Amino acid sequence: MKFYALRKTLKVVGEKFFEPGKPLAALYPLYDAADTFFFTPGKRNEGSVHVRDAGDFKRMMIYVVYALIPCMLMGLYNVGLQANRLIAAGGAVPDDWHGAILNWLSAAIPVFNPDSVFGCFVYGFVYWLPVYVVTMVAGLFWEILFAGVYKEEVNEGFFVTGFLFPLICPATIPLWQVALAISFGVVIGKEIFGGTGRNFLNPALVARAFLFFGYAGQISGDKVWTAVDGVSKATPLSYASGGVDALVSAGYSVHDCFFGTIPGAVGETSTVACLIGMAFLLITGIASWRVMASMFVGGMGLAYLLTQCDPSTLAAHPAFTLGPQWHFVMGGFAFGMVFMATDPVTSAATRAGQYIYGLLVGALVIVVRVLNPAYPEGVMLVILFGNCVAPLIDYFVVNANIRRRMKRLQAK
Amino acid sequence: MKLSEQSKDSFIKPLFKNNPIFVQILGVCSSLAVTTSLRTALTMALAVTFVTAFSNVGVSLIRKVIPSSIRMIVEMTIIATLVILVDQLIKAFSYDLSKQLSVYVGLIITNCIVMGRAEAFAIKNNVGDSLLDGIGNGIGYGMVLIVVAFFRELFGFGKLFGVVVFPTVQNGGWYVPNGIMVTAPAAFFLIGGIIWLVKTYNKDMQDAE
Amino acid sequence: MSNESITKTFTVATLLAIVCAIIVSLSDVSLKGLQRQNQELDKQTNILRAAGLVELNEKVTAAQAAELFKKSVTLVVDLETGELVTDVEPYELASDKTNVRSLSKDDDIAGIGTTPQKQLVYAFYDENDSLQTLALPIVGTGLWSTLYGFLSLNSDLETVRRLVFYEHGETPGLGGEISNPAWASKWEGKVAFDADGAPIIRVIKGTVNPSDDDANSQVDGISGATLTGKGVTNTVAFWLGDNGYGPFLKNLREGKLQLPVPSAQSERPSESGEPAEAAQNAAAN
Repeated sequence: MKFYALRKTLKVVGEKFFEPGKPLAALYPLYDAADTFFFTPGKRNEGSVHVRDAGDFKRMMIYVVYALIPCMLMGLYNVGLQANRLIAAGGAVPDDWHGAILNWLSAAIPVFNPDSVFGCFVYGFVYWLPVYVVTMVAGLFWEILFAGVYKEEVNEGFFVTGFLFPLICPATIPLWQVALAISFGVVIGKEIFGGTGRNFLNPALVARAFLFFGYAGQISGDKVWTAVDGVSKATPLSYASGGVDALVSAGYSVHDCFFGTIPGAVGETSTVACLIGMAFLLITGIASWRVMASMFVGGMGLAYLLTQCDPSTLAAHPAFTLGPQWHFVMGGFAFGMVFMATDPVTSAATRAGQYIYGLLVGALVIVVRVLNPAYPEGVMLVILFGNCVAPLIDYFVVNANIRRRMKRLQAK
Repeated sequence: MKLSEQSKDSFIKPLFKNNPIFVQILGVCSSLAVTTSLRTALTMALAVTFVTAFSNVGVSLIRKVIPSSIRMIVEMTIIATLVILVDQLIKAFSYDLSKQLSVYVGLIITNCIVMGRAEAFAIKNNVGDSLLDGIGNGIGYGMVLIVVAFFRELFGFGKLFGVVVFPTVQNGGWYVPNGIMVTAPAAFFLIGGIIWLVKTYNKDMQDAE
Repeated sequence: MSNESITKTFTVATLLAIVCAIIVSLSDVSLKGLQRQNQELDKQTNILRAAGLVELNEKVTAAQAAELFKKSVTLVVDLETGELVTDVEPYELASDKTNVRSLSKDDDIAGIGTTPQKQLVYAFYDENDSLQTLALPIVGTGLWSTLYGFLSLNSDLETVRRLVFYEHGETPGLGGEISNPAWASKWEGKVAFDADGAPIIRVIKGTVNPSDDDANSQVDGISGATLTGKGVTNTVAFWLGDNGYGPFLKNLREGKLQLPVPSAQSERPSESGEPAEAAQNAAAN
């Protein structure tokens, strides 16, 4: 029985090195993480435990990663597709180690053929993998460090953060920025508040916000979104201030945006992939449908209302002409709605609170997009803002509940 | 001259144990605004030290004759006079710095440290101790300002005291300056980090849970 | 006498007020001169930097500035007619409250609402008293803030000599790069006007492609600061256009205007527009 052998090895190693008092006791969380990765822990909770269903924290987090897989696959394919389309139009294969690997691979795989799904996917993979590896290494370093400080186990929460973060970055992001940003996200966004479950901000979004404000010159603009040299392409949102006409004349259509064959951050371009992930999350009951539904209603409702302004207003503010069909498929709205706003730790926890939170976030995304010239993509900032006010929303909802029940009691 | 224990304490305590910024959490507003470069931070530190020292002396000198009904107004008047004096001096002798510091020198008047020390210390202690307390608090405030400014100027602009340390990409170098460092939130993060560090390593400063 | 009696309270308050008032007034009176000199020098330095007589990160002493200003004339220009105004002294403009012209919404591409009716322009000459450069004050709206600066033109009145912003509140590292000498130097020598005399110089997105037809009138954008760049473009277009210095420059090009040369001018205490008060007082006495 090979599993038995592994079990035994882990146990012996643990007793020899990692138990309290042994030389590597400080690294116990690392050992524990490896151990519980392979085997269900034999430990039982002591004291009162509240069991709601068969899913535990580990299961929940792994399910979110599963739900993200369609976005990742579609995203990697799209990175290659965008790059190859531009190479066909005169762009150059990047003159760095990415390019060297791609040239080497091109002998066996058609990485430079825009029509080859597999080739495009491999192109994207060459860009995505290093970002993912750096994210995990840098992030896990802090996780383990703080798990040692707090005397807790390393948990799967970071797998979600680590999987999300590369998907909301441009593929060409420099790796040192990835390491810096995820460190900031994990430490400032999570660990200083006490770690997973105690953070009030979504760490992946904090990391992304760090990049956005810290390295705005590199992370915005046209150049970053496609993995080629010499040719640049802007995302649909950078044309959004010009309204529907500007988007269409730049060659974008609702159809392309829906399937995700547009430039953008790796994982967020494809609305259809987000919807597949959403179906998975809803069927398994992991994410709150209330947040998703109310964010959808809030955002699309406001977008629709803006299209109903009188013609002179529309002429003065062309961005108002973008109806719900555009706003839903552009940028990170769908991705944020499915994977970011629904984060169970940082969104509102009460039912009524989730409706309010979702409506607020959805509507504000549209407000930032159409009214603020400096930040065409509002999803990240607005969800972070929503995270900040979520506890306040919950507070009022709970208080209202208490008041209502008190009244009921008095009436009796 | 040998200093008494109390005199020593009044100088040393505000440097660390009772630091105005990271223990008393006073004067944070100005430390967000003037810490983008070491030159402005240092000027501000000196200005605040000057004002706290001499407002303490002034208040302490006349502490026995101040009627309690107008105590605060008297303190305020002394502080305001000193602040105007500092502001005028900077404008006259270091015009560039006064432009960078803009209103913040004038706003030393509203810096809680100055009023706080006058009210909490100088009003009931002798002149020598009050002077030491004022200087100590000014330096305690200034130290934090300079630490924060060091990181902000270095990582935000690649410079220290205006001298290029990391040549930035905008000017043909290799260093990509961090945009957060030049905005006020960076000072929040840094001061928060300092408070975190200090309280972690100094258990008796931790708040009771 | 108790500390709390009314008499004592009034005495302390009065004495304190007098002492503090004396300190404040003394410092004000004794330092005013220095402060004014500083302000004056600051203004002169900005103009000299704009005119290209002083490098952008270089400092000058008051004496050097005065020396350089000897070869200059401060002109008062009526923006609407483009004529020189000779019955107004430059220093009178700052305090003239009627010197305002409001702009219609369509004209106001720089987003400033109003401009002065009469505006100061600084002309610098070489040793032979021929025009070297014209420094034109400009103001406009960037992304977050109002930009204050000077645009200077070469003696051909077609190409840019310098663009200097000395005050703005744009994001440091992004829009704030407009005051970085490295970016400002990209304006030097660019052609500001098209064949019909309309301003065409502009900040583009990304870097200028030298093979473009009008690459000579394009300036590299600052990455991450597209909107500040737009603000700069609009500001420059406004001030070089019909509502700005357009009529004045047109008159100059067509030879309808004769600019006074510095040596022909009567001695003036200060050339930058603000007079030294002492000299003015002396004249009045």
